[in-house]
Amino acid sequence: MSETVDIHAPDVEVKKSCCYFCHQNCGVLAYVRDGKVLKIEGDPTHPTNQGGLCCRGNIALLHLDHPARINHPLKRAGKKGENKWEKVSWDTAIAEIANKLNQIKEESGAEAVATAGGTLRTDDWARRRFMNLFGSPNGFHNALLCWIPTFMVETAVSGWSPFETDLGTSRCVILWGFNPGASAMPGMRGYSDLRKAGLKLIVVDPRYSETAAHADLWLPLRPGSDTALALAMIWVIIYEGHYDQEFVENWCVGFEELQEHIFDYTPEWASEHTWLDPELIREAARMYAKNTPGNIQWGCTADQLGKTSGAGMHARAILRALTGNLDRPGGDLMPGPSHYYVTDEELEANDWLPEEQKARQIGSDHFKLTSWPGYQRIADVSREVWGKAPTAEWMCEAHGPSVFKAILTGDPYQIRAMIVSATNPVNSYGDAKMVLAALKQLEFLVVCEYWMTPAALYADYVMPIAGALERPIVHNNYGVTDSLITSQRAIQPLYERHTDYNFWRDLALASGQDPDQWPWETLEEAFYYVIYSFIENGYQFGSYDEFVEKYRMFYPPLHYYKYGTNGFATPSRRVELKSSVLEELGYPALPTWIGPAENEIDDPEVAKEYPLVLTTGGGFMPYHHSEQFNISSVRFLYPEPYFTINPQKAQELGIKSGDWCWIETRRGRIRQRANVEPSVDARVIYCQRGWWYPERQESLDEEPFGCLESNVNVLTSVDNEHCDPIGGSWANRGLLCKVYKVSYWDDTDTDFSIPGSAAEPGISVPPSKQPLAYEPIPYDPQPGFEVPEGLTWDPNTKLAWNLESGLAYDPESGWLYHPETLVYYDLVTGYAYDPENETLVDEATGQRYNMETREPLESEGAHTADGVVSDVAPGATGEKGE
Amino acid sequence: MSHKMQTNKLEKHYWIWPIAWYLFLGGLGGGMLFTIGIIEMVFHAGYLLALGVLVAVACLGIGSMLLIFELGQPKVFLRVFLSATAIIKWGACLLILAMGFGFVYFLFYLPPSWNLFWYSWTWLRDLCAVCMALFGLCVVVYTGVLLSTMKAKPFWNTPALPVLFVASALSTATAALSLLAGFWPSADAIIALFAEQADAETVVSSYLPLLTHEIVAILHQYDTMLVVAEFIILLLYVLTMRASGNVTAKAVALEWISGGKALLFWVGMVACGLVIPFLLYQTGGTGAEYVAPVLVLAAGLLLRFLVVYSDRRRAMPGEERFYSRLPQGDERFLQGWKPPY
Amino acid sequence: MTRYAMVLDKRRCIGCQSCTVACRTWNELPMDIIYNPVVTEGVLGEFPYVHQTFTPLLCMHCDNPPCTICCPCKASQQDDDGIVWVEATKCMGCKVCVNSCPYGARDVNGAEGFVRKCTFCKDRVRENEQPYCVATCHQKARTFGDLDDPESDVSKLVNSLVTERIFVELGTDPQVYYIPDLGGAK
Repeated sequence: MSETVDIHAPDVEVKKSCCYFCHQNCGVLAYVRDGKVLKIEGDPTHPTNQGGLCCRGNIALLHLDHPARINHPLKRAGKKGENKWEKVSWDTAIAEIANKLNQIKEESGAEAVATAGGTLRTDDWARRRFMNLFGSPNGFHNALLCWIPTFMVETAVSGWSPFETDLGTSRCVILWGFNPGASAMPGMRGYSDLRKAGLKLIVVDPRYSETAAHADLWLPLRPGSDTALALAMIWVIIYEGHYDQEFVENWCVGFEELQEHIFDYTPEWASEHTWLDPELIREAARMYAKNTPGNIQWGCTADQLGKTSGAGMHARAILRALTGNLDRPGGDLMPGPSHYYVTDEELEANDWLPEEQKARQIGSDHFKLTSWPGYQRIADVSREVWGKAPTAEWMCEAHGPSVFKAILTGDPYQIRAMIVSATNPVNSYGDAKMVLAALKQLEFLVVCEYWMTPAALYADYVMPIAGALERPIVHNNYGVTDSLITSQRAIQPLYERHTDYNFWRDLALASGQDPDQWPWETLEEAFYYVIYSFIENGYQFGSYDEFVEKYRMFYPPLHYYKYGTNGFATPSRRVELKSSVLEELGYPALPTWIGPAENEIDDPEVAKEYPLVLTTGGGFMPYHHSEQFNISSVRFLYPEPYFTINPQKAQELGIKSGDWCWIETRRGRIRQRANVEPSVDARVIYCQRGWWYPERQESLDEEPFGCLESNVNVLTSVDNEHCDPIGGSWANRGLLCKVYKVSYWDDTDTDFSIPGSAAEPGISVPPSKQPLAYEPIPYDPQPGFEVPEGLTWDPNTKLAWNLESGLAYDPESGWLYHPETLVYYDLVTGYAYDPENETLVDEATGQRYNMETREPLESEGAHTADGVVSDVAPGATGEKGE
Repeated sequence: MSHKMQTNKLEKHYWIWPIAWYLFLGGLGGGMLFTIGIIEMVFHAGYLLALGVLVAVACLGIGSMLLIFELGQPKVFLRVFLSATAIIKWGACLLILAMGFGFVYFLFYLPPSWNLFWYSWTWLRDLCAVCMALFGLCVVVYTGVLLSTMKAKPFWNTPALPVLFVASALSTATAALSLLAGFWPSADAIIALFAEQADAETVVSSYLPLLTHEIVAILHQYDTMLVVAEFIILLLYVLTMRASGNVTAKAVALEWISGGKALLFWVGMVACGLVIPFLLYQTGGTGAEYVAPVLVLAAGLLLRFLVVYSDRRRAMPGEERFYSRLPQGDERFLQGWKPPY
Repeated sequence: MTRYAMVLDKRRCIGCQSCTVACRTWNELPMDIIYNPVVTEGVLGEFPYVHQTFTPLLCMHCDNPPCTICCPCKASQQDDDGIVWVEATKCMGCKVCVNSCPYGARDVNGAEGFVRKCTFCKDRVRENEQPYCVATCHQKARTFGDLDDPESDVSKLVNSLVTERIFVELGTDPQVYYIPDLGGAK
């Protein structure tokens, strides 16, 4: 304690570090003497946490030198999973890994090497850079469960994901499947403050969460039915006339189609799916639409509903637009990529990945929006409007579950090697039993870790990674915002630990990549490069550390209504309520109801056996995903997993508070203790995520560290038919389950189900042949006008072209135009239009013609013909063409 | 610290068996000194119970040792006398005084043949008798007051607890004395009394049993009353707690009446410790002479254990849920972590 | 004079237990010692009409502390500014104070046997810093300060809001005040 340590002593240095136990990256002051961190505390001047630190942040020192940390590179000495290791040097390990990867690349192509990540806890751009230069498109994270599909759908609809809420002047916020009270503490403080000042808080959550307790309106819907709620809210806002008419008229396309499309999605219809009183839905819609400016705060739920996810995201994007909340003061701000510093995307070297490799990305044939096909389309538009593209790491990845399936089945091709970095896949990816089987079967596995996890146990090499306090961190929200906050390392990594950046760089150099591609030896050097341009803006610093110490953060001035200058970053430059990007990719252009992965209406047979609705994936203090289970001081407060069941249902099933129970879905069963509380509906079961038992260091048989026993991902589904075809999200919530007490002689369920369909485990149909939730809708747009003779309709550009001259047809004016110069040409003669002189000009000869008669005129104007430029359609001048 | 961690702070017993023994021995020793003092003053028959004084002083000494043994940092023990207010400090002083006067009193009953010079100072002996009776009673009361001042412990925090402890202590003391009456050095004392007579040995052999029988009969009668009194106080105590407005006190009382401690309470304490000795005292014979006092003593000890382990703290709302979800204390993750290789 | 006190806003506390963990790490407490548990009775009511509140507990630094009077060694003591603390080297470990505290604020340091408790982070407070549980609270549910200063935040809160204290009937005069949370979701 500081009763024993004087942190104010003159030889104690204060380092501006940050927390690294979730991606809020709260500021931390580290008191350091002689390379030893004496104490840490929350940084009171940091804008995010203002001195606050949660359970996770406060244990940094226990984490730093925990006896179970991995401190040296380990090479497998026994059989896989035998837990016998040989300590090797960092360089040896890197060289051997590089050799093996090169060998696999040579034999099977670079795409046979995949990497799995967790959630923003590594130096992701460096990983992407390595993979791009190596030539493999098969990097992935748990991204599809965490905001990325939402980002892509919203960007497709409105040109960027409005995730920065401008709360100061907001009047109403919907926290949709978001519980900052357990997962974003700094945010919760803000909501508490603002609510005191009059902000209306609507919370959508099946469970009475810490946040719901502070809401003005709580919508306890059936888990997984969020899409129905969003659709019905659109219905109320449109048919009760609460939408922002001016914004919709000026800045949205597809409103009429939407109005027609939404007609049947009444609150009464939604009531059946959501279990909510239609009046409550109306009240929520009115509260949100009438209290503008307002926001919808994204929550992970949006991305964890399986096949119904995409439509829900689309519907929420529409809600933001209908209320005119986009990019206005107090509304949903769309910062766009930064122009002030080097974005993550620019560090990723995406251009180096050959096109044919992009095409080999696993899952990109099914789940197109969040892989190369959709990303490419969105990135192209984004570059046109914003000048830069969204980060590709995260937004454009292989479909994780499909990669695990490919390891097991060789379909579409064999994945032979994987580098697992900052994730414990057995606990964080869907269908845990399948993931575990895949890891056991994998030919070559490298795990970059702090701990011996179930995945690390089956690794060929385990690499020790620098954690909190040992690495500098730039916080810029996945590289898709324009601000950043920087932090320095308190100390150099202990033992033989290295940052992820150094792992990827060392591996890159060892595998023969060009050293010029990796000019920065340390993360600090790389980050200095990122922020170097600030110097042009009057900042004075000579190194990254100096920037941290002097400025720490960079917030460019806020600009509202940015769409006023360039339009929205969509193909039409408008908010596409009816999304052309989705349509082109073969998805419904308007949000169309599809039930959650398993539900009692679509699957009554399943519901007979599994009558309860399961929701999982929610964060709970003090754990973050599958972390901190080995920090005794934290675990002491939360030693065992609890699921929540309504007292009424518990009584019916004979379950008492604290009883160990099985929770079973069609895919398997897990055990947790009963928390009997009226915080959920009698038909709902809420299960905690992430549980494993790292202390079980002796029992490393088929279920190491008890990684399946209480692991909620044994219950979740990654079947193709349960995944969202748009973004690839798999189903964590709204599944059907049953609950019963554990009896004395029960064993853990370790019967492995190999991916197949939930109904019939085991592979009888290869993954690529398995049905999707719905088949792609063939994209064959018909011209909405009559194509004049001699012109050819092109469905991709949705234009009729004169193939000879390369001119496009403007059906409104009836003229042809040049798509780049925007000069108009006469449809019949092909002469250019000169608005100054109100004449036609033959560009080849310079001869002028009369507009009406097309008779040649005197030749006096011939010399000016070259300079004829018009971006005004002839019709607009009042002088119509034909 | 290899033992299991006690994580539930509502149920954690901060005072355990040494304290129960300490309270028992303190009550027993103090009670014996009190009783002997009274008998000396009223009947001038202290010589019949002289061994009891020695045993009483030993009880107090052993009790004090147990208390010190139970301390977290015994080396700081001497600071105990610094405080002006602390009940423990008063307890320590009273114990020393009672032991001191008891010890001096006993010095008058060393074998007369040793002919020690103070034998003639009977005024001192009588003064010591008064003082040891007084301080003995204070020690008895103190053992109850110590617990009854604990605001955090609803089952203790009542003025009835010292009353119960006084009844129990005097009862056990009387029972103990009835077992010790007439032993060494009583015979020597009688010889000294009848020193002029020629056949002192005969006198002793005829008078001592008679006198002993007399005093034991008085003690039995006395103890019978105490047992009845203790029985009434105990039932009143537990049943009042059962009806108490304090949920914790009520819960503990229920534990005595029908919960985990019911068997010990009804069979051990009430039946074997009070009812049966009462009946045996009525029937007389060996049962009254040996069995009843032993049962009374055992019940006294049992009572201290029952009370000391009824130290449940009154929970603040939510505390029970909080502690019920903490580890049991022997979980593997609490036993340290091994390096992964 | 200075009289330190703490006000806990139950309207803001969300039961994250950050203060609990923070206190354990800052004060380097043994595993089973918790100075400031955050407790709740759970969600109460009947779905969907339910409520839940959290109560962060800690030493109440009473004006009439039962734990200092009973200490035979003068180890358990109260400073002029109201802070109640135990001087480890003077404590003989008789645990009489542990048993006398109605708030369960005291515990025995297993290995050494002395009694320890929350000190309002005396070391920090005397450096003009907030107690660590106050500094670390994201929700700003805790306010610490001088009750004798009418302009301090604690004074203003205690004087202008309805506050509650725990076990006042025991005559301990606790100096930790709670602002009750009366509303749940509407």
